[in-house]
Amino acid sequence: MKLAAVDYFILFLYFAFVLGIGWRLRKKISTSGDFLTSGHSVPVWITSLAFLAANLGAQELVGMSGNGAKYGIMTAHFYWVGAVPAMIFVGIFMMPFYYGSRARSVPEYLKLRFDEKTRALNAFTFAGMTVFSSGISMYALGLLLRLVLGWSFTTSVLCSAAIVLAYTFLGGLTSAIYNEVLQFFLIVMGFSPLAILAVSKAGGWAGMSARLHTFTLPTGQPGDVMVHSWKYIAHTADNPMGIEVFGLVAGLGFVMSFGYWCTDFLVIQRAMAANSMSASRRTPVIAALPKMMMPFIVIVPGIAALALSHMDVGYALPMKNGGPDYDQVLTTLMGKFYPAGMLGVGLTGLMASFMSGMAGNVTAFNTVWTYDIYQTYIRPGAPDHHYLTVGRITTFVGVGLSIATAYLAQQYNSINDLLQLVFSFVNAPLFGTFLLGMFWKRTTGHGAFTGLLCGTCAAALTHGLTVAENKGGWITEIHHFPSSMAQNFWIAICAWTTCFLITILVSLMTSPRPEKELEGLVYGLTNLKHDEGVSWYKRPVPLAIAIGALALFLNFWFA
Amino acid sequence: MLDLRVPTGSFFLVVGVILLLTGFLDPNARAALTDTNVNLLCGLSMVVFGAFLLLLAWRAARTHS
Repeated sequence: MKLAAVDYFILFLYFAFVLGIGWRLRKKISTSGDFLTSGHSVPVWITSLAFLAANLGAQELVGMSGNGAKYGIMTAHFYWVGAVPAMIFVGIFMMPFYYGSRARSVPEYLKLRFDEKTRALNAFTFAGMTVFSSGISMYALGLLLRLVLGWSFTTSVLCSAAIVLAYTFLGGLTSAIYNEVLQFFLIVMGFSPLAILAVSKAGGWAGMSARLHTFTLPTGQPGDVMVHSWKYIAHTADNPMGIEVFGLVAGLGFVMSFGYWCTDFLVIQRAMAANSMSASRRTPVIAALPKMMMPFIVIVPGIAALALSHMDVGYALPMKNGGPDYDQVLTTLMGKFYPAGMLGVGLTGLMASFMSGMAGNVTAFNTVWTYDIYQTYIRPGAPDHHYLTVGRITTFVGVGLSIATAYLAQQYNSINDLLQLVFSFVNAPLFGTFLLGMFWKRTTGHGAFTGLLCGTCAAALTHGLTVAENKGGWITEIHHFPSSMAQNFWIAICAWTTCFLITILVSLMTSPRPEKELEGLVYGLTNLKHDEGVSWYKRPVPLAIAIGALALFLNFWFA
Repeated sequence: MLDLRVPTGSFFLVVGVILLLTGFLDPNARAALTDTNVNLLCGLSMVVFGAFLLLLAWRAARTHS
């Protein structure tokens, strides 16, 4: 793919605007709170879109359109069963405690609710994970740009890292959040035309369905499976994902997505920056609306690509080593539908999605490092301007470590898989801890800590005892999964159940904290204000019901 | 505090105008699989979106002062 001057100009223009926003916001920063938590001052529409965009990395765009071509509309389960219910839940039930406790981070909430060791466990694993995941996504972007445009890996990695560094260094969390909103709009503007063009070329949704009906997938299922999200989910052999309904609903819909959206500080930080309790609760709920529309932008083009490749129009799925290279579906579609100009916008959107993901990681890392690690264990009690300086320096360190990870991943390809595996071990049981911590006042610090550790071990053990796609089974093989996705779902289910049960067991054996200390931290001991006299769309609960109903409708419509 | 609608609106207005110009000046620039003048249509929608954001920001600033 070749870029023209106008494409480069649009990319350059975007960089200029991003840096300009950082520059304009630099004067707002006078305390460490301004820099690391935005001083609870950001309007709700901005926090909502940032909540969404911080999670919308380049891997999601590229990966989900690839999954669209590979698994079809079933990929939308990640949105309509996974993300949306979890986002509504965190907004309605969990934000009151995160925001109301005045904690500055998720690990700090754990410290307030439980004890120091639980916070330390979460803070250190989270800090490590954010740096690694931003490094891995940097590596993925560098790889993609080299493949598609022939840019050097070093140039694309260093250039985008430098820009993210500059604007987060200047304006801190506020700057990252503001830019995430610009990035979100750019992604929508850059990729929705592609969805429209590709689908209409493939004959619209009806034409696509009819076309896909006529052939069999490489995995042996009828092509019809690509356009139904629930119809072929009773048995693992019926669908290319190799999943069944219980593993999907319990593993993805409950444990994995709630574990991510309800406990990951990367996204929670955006909601915590909102300017009122009501706004912080509405942040994830409002974000759920564009989130449930994302499949139309990222997944549907992938399905269209598959349909197009079976039509005689001059499109074939990109190939690698004799099999389809799903990671290139999105970029090849762009090349086939976008002329110079719009191609630049699409590419800028890809860069933007990468940068929003990275800035999200960097700002979350900053806060956790400065408040939960540095201020707690290294140098407590220093004046505030000292922590502001530390926060700024941490921005440099965080970006530097991500770059190092990107190169490490380039050197040792398997490190990528290994890290993702370790993340899933750590993340899976977390939701059990938070659920008990927030809704059962009897939960104790010892219980939470032991439960978390046991849950993580259970995840590792499940992986060691089961095999899928030649992965896992490093202890012995007692079960075989049809796909690694199914394996991941079951690892999450085992980890969560273990964490949940062990936490209850140990809590009952240890002495509870006095109720007085838990006010504002636990359900039943917290006064939730009812915002009466405000119109329904400004109240979290009615808004959540409306958005939940819409998600339900989408599930039925595409069933 | 900076009203985010101003930089966002301006960005899309500028990019939209660039795309519109590209679409007008080079109407035959088509990608392999489509006959639509993609630049013209996308440019137009971006101009509308950008102008809409700027209008909102302008109204907010007027009622504020």
